[in-house]
Amino acid sequence: MNKVLAIGSAVVADAIRRKVVWVVVVFAALLAFAIPTLPSYGVGVVEGVYKEVVIALMFAAAFVVTLALAATRIPSEVERRTVFNVLSRDVRRWQYLLGTWFGIVVVSGAALVALTAISVAAAAVVYHAALIELFAATFAVWLEMGVISAFAIMMSTRMGSVTSIVGATAFAFIGHSLGSLFAGASGVPRWYVPSLDVFNVIDPVAYGTGYGIGYALGMVGAFLAWSALLMLIATVMFEGRDL
Amino acid sequence: MSASQPVVTPQTPAIVIEHARKGYGSAAVGRKDAVSDVSITVSRGAIHGLLGPNGAGKTTTLKMLLGLVRPTSGRFEILGRPASAAGTRSKLGFLPEQPYFPTQLQAAEALRLYGQLAGLTKSMIAEQTPLLLEKVGLEGKETQSLSRFSRGMLQRLGLAQALLGSPEVVVLDEPASGLDPVGQRDIRNLMLELRTQGTSILLSSHQLSEIEAVCDEVTILNRGMVAAVGHIDDLLNVEGQASIRARGGNELPAGVRPYVTQTAVSGGVWVLSVAKSDVRGVVDAFDDAGWTLDSVTPKRDSLEDYFTRLLETPEAGGVIQ
Repeated sequence: MNKVLAIGSAVVADAIRRKVVWVVVVFAALLAFAIPTLPSYGVGVVEGVYKEVVIALMFAAAFVVTLALAATRIPSEVERRTVFNVLSRDVRRWQYLLGTWFGIVVVSGAALVALTAISVAAAAVVYHAALIELFAATFAVWLEMGVISAFAIMMSTRMGSVTSIVGATAFAFIGHSLGSLFAGASGVPRWYVPSLDVFNVIDPVAYGTGYGIGYALGMVGAFLAWSALLMLIATVMFEGRDL
Repeated sequence: MSASQPVVTPQTPAIVIEHARKGYGSAAVGRKDAVSDVSITVSRGAIHGLLGPNGAGKTTTLKMLLGLVRPTSGRFEILGRPASAAGTRSKLGFLPEQPYFPTQLQAAEALRLYGQLAGLTKSMIAEQTPLLLEKVGLEGKETQSLSRFSRGMLQRLGLAQALLGSPEVVVLDEPASGLDPVGQRDIRNLMLELRTQGTSILLSSHQLSEIEAVCDEVTILNRGMVAAVGHIDDLLNVEGQASIRARGGNELPAGVRPYVTQTAVSGGVWVLSVAKSDVRGVVDAFDDAGWTLDSVTPKRDSLEDYFTRLLETPEAGGVIQ
């Protein structure tokens, strides 16, 4: 476990020094402060709209950060051969992948918390309201980013950065469409269709009362199942690769 | 220790590679072997050189040993244990050819990361970092960013990370690459120091002088196969020939000339090659002529001559010894 944490820490340090996270968070924070300047909010829904836009902004920012790290890390390490110094030691390839994923999940989580805190502060200043329920959306987006980073890592074990970014974007899009495509009309309960829709909590957070502990546990279960499956496939793919 | 674990004794070779093979492609598109059949045994406490022209399969062989490339077939052992088994490579240090590091790190941070991956504790890393940096000539560079390191400095840092945790076996791929002559000498001395401490070294290098200066044994690869293997003296000594150095005149004595197979003269010193069976007669002839003999030794090729000659022979893919 120490080796996984060491690799994860290196990913976090690298992300901090590469400034990708800062740029994205600062840009998103500026946008968050700009949201209240948008005109034509209906009376009584202004905070709901603010929360919806903030959640969309959080998703977009976290998505950029996640892909910038997850889709590029392994191709870059292989190309620059820095991976030799890691994998020639007594480090298994699954440890390397898990550590990389872990580091990215930590970074995207930190970026999301920072962005949410800024958004909550902006709402407090503009609306004089404490919209701390936004952190419930942060949790859902963070879990989804964990799944998307696992997919991007899986692709990048065999493919280049650009292909992995395109693939992970398609995965996110299709992942959110699956529930609508296969559930409902066919009579299949939505929960039985493996999709990323479980992480979509815009409605309950922006316009409702949030979600309960049962739903949160369901999201954690989906996060663990998706991530474990994708990291397992990633390990099999990476094990067979010559470096 | 369970019954299934191999018994490791001090005599157990440091590295065993048997019939390593790595093929690329498929039968449909044509199969090509980067390594066809390579076997190498590195004795404990020895420096074993791995030589070969570009494309001979040296780096691929090392990568198979280190788990970076999946072998098509073959057996790979480090200190008596399968190289791919968990824990085996914790006793091994590796310096890749032209090592690269995350350039955003400082030297001490890089060693901390690789120390953690080697399973060292924080206190061990803190203790070893300044010692290793000093050993490779990077003392005082702990906090310098690697983005400001020259190629030679990165090479030295690569060596330091390979030596973290005092590994029993070290694999060095072109360790002198990018170093100036002083740096090359330092690396050579460091390898000899490691051998004195009992560390086994597998050294892949293009620098024949380096191999000749430090290696006990060599394996020469060509076209993915072992072209020659053995103790460096056995390989370089010319069978049945002796080398005589003598001084005493501008022309060889008449009694010597019939025995000489090769001759060279420089600064009044003659160097002759003669058959070992003729040494007694040559020495007597020099004595009769009043010359001074400096030395009589078995005739020895330079590694460069041996290497060049070996690769020029049509049967260079065969095992000489």
